[in-house]
Amino acid sequence: MNFYEHTIIAKQDLSTPELNNIEKKYKDIITKTDGKVVKVEKWGLLSFAKKIKAYNKGFYIHYKFEAENKTLEEINKNSIIDNSLLRHLTVRYKKLDTETEYFKESNEKKK
Amino acid sequence: MKRKNNKFNKRPQNPLNKLSLFQKSDSRFSKKCPLSGKDAPIIDYKNIKLLKRYVSDTDKIMPSRITSVSQNKQRKLTSEIKKAKILGLM
Repeated sequence: MNFYEHTIIAKQDLSTPELNNIEKKYKDIITKTDGKVVKVEKWGLLSFAKKIKAYNKGFYIHYKFEAENKTLEEINKNSIIDNSLLRHLTVRYKKLDTETEYFKESNEKKK
Repeated sequence: MKRKNNKFNKRPQNPLNKLSLFQKSDSRFSKKCPLSGKDAPIIDYKNIKLLKRYVSDTDKIMPSRITSVSQNKQRKLTSEIKKAKILGLM
């Protein structure tokens, strides 16, 4: 078992129930394949530094979980096919840092 | 031991004392690495405030001879900056 971080960028023109569905979908994939979700962070709507596929902004969802190789394959498969996602990234860690949140302040200021 | 310390204890020479223009000056100052040490900041692809300091105006990674980052940390910096660029954060 290893620790991983996974972030996905969803398209800007999605409604809130659709976004909740996406968040739930990947949570279920992790738990179904014997993984453990440690934390889920919603970074909210952020603007890109450059355009990605003619989009200027996107919704960021960030997962921290503990899993084996099997779940990573499932996540990769699903996120490549998924039409509502723009990009995704998984990173392996030896220790997970759950305390510091780098994108929390910018969200509160916008509201 | 005395010989080793001799290099750093040399006083800076007056540039007019040089024999020729192309002679290298003895007074070379060396900076310490800002990313290593006891309470150094964490290098991570989410910590964009820190990463932006080591990138030029045109989003190129700065060489370590200018920023005086150690070789080990420079390798970490480049990989984290590239991860942030994939996610469109930089």
